[in-house]
Amino acid sequence: MTAQIIVNNLHKYFDKLEVLKGINLEIEKGQVVCVIGPSGSGKSTFLRCINHLEEPTHGEITIDHVITTDPKVDINKVRRHIGMVFQQFNLFPHLNVKENIMMAPLELKLKTKKEAEQKAIELLERVGLSDKADAMPKQLSGGQQQRVAIARALAMEPDIMLFDEPTSALDPEMVGEVLSVMKELASMGMTMVVVTHEMGFANDVADRVIFMDEGIIMEEAPPAEMFANPKNPRTIEFLKKVLSV
Amino acid sequence: MDLMKVFSEVNPLLFEGLKITIAVTVLSLLLAFVLGLCSCFFALSKKAPLRWISKIYVGLIRGTPMLVQVFYVYFAIPQLLQFMGFGVRFTPFTAGLITLMLNAGAYMSEIFRGAINAVNAGQMEAARSLGLSHAQATRKVILPQALRICLPSLVNQFIITLKDSSLISVIGLAEIMYQAKIYQGRTMQSFATYTWVAIFYLVLITLLAYLAKYVERRTEI
Repeated sequence: MTAQIIVNNLHKYFDKLEVLKGINLEIEKGQVVCVIGPSGSGKSTFLRCINHLEEPTHGEITIDHVITTDPKVDINKVRRHIGMVFQQFNLFPHLNVKENIMMAPLELKLKTKKEAEQKAIELLERVGLSDKADAMPKQLSGGQQQRVAIARALAMEPDIMLFDEPTSALDPEMVGEVLSVMKELASMGMTMVVVTHEMGFANDVADRVIFMDEGIIMEEAPPAEMFANPKNPRTIEFLKKVLSV
Repeated sequence: MDLMKVFSEVNPLLFEGLKITIAVTVLSLLLAFVLGLCSCFFALSKKAPLRWISKIYVGLIRGTPMLVQVFYVYFAIPQLLQFMGFGVRFTPFTAGLITLMLNAGAYMSEIFRGAINAVNAGQMEAARSLGLSHAQATRKVILPQALRICLPSLVNQFIITLKDSSLISVIGLAEIMYQAKIYQGRTMQSFATYTWVAIFYLVLITLLAYLAKYVERRTEI
């Protein structure tokens, strides 16, 4: 069986600046991969290349046997199966919570209005926000908004979820509620790639942890090994900084 | 100089003119809305020739006085068409409508462009990450937010166009200002007539501004 996500020699330039310098990675179905590293290391850019929010400069990405870097591939179709959760939530402020969740399945004619509504209610229950279906995004706390954002991504019934620092913009007391939704998702067998600064989450949930710095993968290991016994000097230095606080 | 006498005589005339003023302003603004949206999409297009078309259009309108544009549409273009073998003449109403539409359309194009750019880039990314095409994301996510952002500017443009419509009186459209000029010419009551015209416009525009504030509050997000 081949991996669900295969990244082969991925490079990304912003003008002349090389942000990703040859990333190689395979992710199996159902795996949870956490990407850690200092800011500016290219970890968010890497994540955004997976669903082509950033166009890779060269290299090849294969998702579910489809070479997505092939210009003939309809990227909109590919993205339907890859949910994404952003640091700044990016809920649609002009739509209420339920409409946020229903919008994409309805616009893409994947569900009838009734089915989409039922799915929205079901998902809101799953993220613990059944009572907020009719609220507007700005009436919610950051943690609640992020949980709605997760529900919105799940409404497309993706088989891969990408998380771009999902708790970095949250007040500390709201981090837990978002992480527990993510944990549940992981336990249900979702393939997840999570860029995060939450080392505890990485330690508890990840199957593999990847340390990125200066546009390359410096080290890769199961969390127990990565946190207890890092090998690369850059990893050691980074972990010392983030774990000592 | 009898202010009240002039008022009672000129007021019915101004209300006659008001019908034409409202008709030409509202119609031209509806058309300008569509024109401005098209021009704005040209301006934001990936295709350079489309961007040039929008740039040239907006530049021409912004770079010439409204009065020149009125004369150009009413006198210059029909003559050009006549040279080319088409005998077209515009009525003052049609010429006024076209001029106001072209004029407001250019400014609206810039208003829309600014508003679309003001919508957070994360909104487009979130919509695209769900599988929507650029066009679908623009329609369902970006435009509804952009229209709310530019509502105050659109109201402002409405007021400007309403006031600019007084310039159409020079080609004989019987709107508010034209009615006032006719009355003044007949009675020579310059001070009283133009005082009442100024107050008439002032009340009209103040009422519109209040209405706009109300609509704005209702559509807040």
